[in-house]
Amino acid sequence: MLHAEPMSTLTPSQSLVGDLALRHLDAAYNLGRWLLGNDADASDAVHDAFLRATRAADTYAGGNARAWWLAIVRNCCLARLAIRRRERGDVAIDHAADAHGHEAVDALLGGSDGNDAERALETAERRALLARHIAALPVEFREVLLLREIEEFSYREIADSLQLPIGTVMSRLSRARALLQAALGMAAHEEVKHGL
Amino acid sequence: MDCKTARDLVPLYFDGELDRATARELETHLDECTECREALVALDTLRRALREDAPRYSAPRELRERLQRELGEKHARPLRPVRRPWLALAATTALAFVAGGGAMLLWQQRTDAPIAHDLFESHWRALAATSPVDVVSTDRHTVKPWFAGKLADAPLVQDFAEQGFALVGGRLDYAGSERVAVLVYRHGQHLIDVFVLPASAGAAPAATLREGYALDPVSLGGRPAAMVSDMDATERARFGALLAAAR
Repeated sequence: MLHAEPMSTLTPSQSLVGDLALRHLDAAYNLGRWLLGNDADASDAVHDAFLRATRAADTYAGGNARAWWLAIVRNCCLARLAIRRRERGDVAIDHAADAHGHEAVDALLGGSDGNDAERALETAERRALLARHIAALPVEFREVLLLREIEEFSYREIADSLQLPIGTVMSRLSRARALLQAALGMAAHEEVKHGL
Repeated sequence: MDCKTARDLVPLYFDGELDRATARELETHLDECTECREALVALDTLRRALREDAPRYSAPRELRERLQRELGEKHARPLRPVRRPWLALAATTALAFVAGGGAMLLWQQRTDAPIAHDLFESHWRALAATSPVDVVSTDRHTVKPWFAGKLADAPLVQDFAEQGFALVGGRLDYAGSERVAVLVYRHGQHLIDVFVLPASAGAAPAATLREGYALDPVSLGGRPAAMVSDMDATERARFGALLAAAR
């Protein structure tokens, strides 16, 4: 204890932050995956975020750890998105949506036949369609929707993770829901308004 | 409750973000209004589709293992064997002494200002809770009437969003045996609680620091209040001045 080597050993706050990041690794990865659209970029972004979080461990001053960590993850993802947009336009997400469809088909078709296969195909198509519609949402709507509906964050936690006022979270969430409902033909009124 | 208000509240209700009283009012409206009920069902349909059909990606095993390794290597680096036991012994004694002193200090703090203690506790409880507020503010017109329905003298509610201190909402808590209104503001990453003290509470608690959080006596447009936050002194003073000037 007395002979700890400061350069190579983690400080208590670094190992605390590292532990909490690992505890919320799935949430972090899911956010990265939805924002970036593919596994490789999501893994890299989460890895960057992990390094950045342990380096900035001293700035974590209690409070909602999950939101603090996801805020870092999200910043790393947005940085990657910005670079990607500059380099070659934002195409990877649509590819990812298609790829997801194939993955789902493969996973579901494996070892089944007849009616099962048909049903599996329907499910796979429905999922691919949904994935494509989600991917088509602008990032600022997509992230709010994901954190609320999939990660089950409270408004407060979303506001903390995205560093937004809570009012903005509410308006973006309702916009995101309306867009997706329209795209899926779920809304009673404005049917196919969101051209997809 | 009219349909337009209800329609705005339906998503908050669906997301579990309404306080109980407003939720009851909305439910009464939902009983009579098919359209608002449909809006609620539509939200549920969408959520069900998302939870069933949108994949929640789990972190790949390689990633998890890589991060664990990075953390673990640094964790597990063997400590050099202690060669001078007397030094270790001295250190242990010193630590025990420090720990004892710390406990004594804590004990003293516990006894001196019960109100201050309650306010810090309330602030930390709120930070740890899913939501630090019972009523979410979109503007002060949602917060003020909420308090008016619950306290004899509702506090002055003002949003300072333009000055960088946005009103998040309000909640009720106890200081001693008194129910107090708490106005919750946000400044950057900081959450600020402003406790509006009842006249019967006597003198406002003195300025106190505890575990990185500060309690400052302030005036909310002339009424005694106390602010708890983890902002630095300059920001606290700036916000204190804004509160004092509230009308």
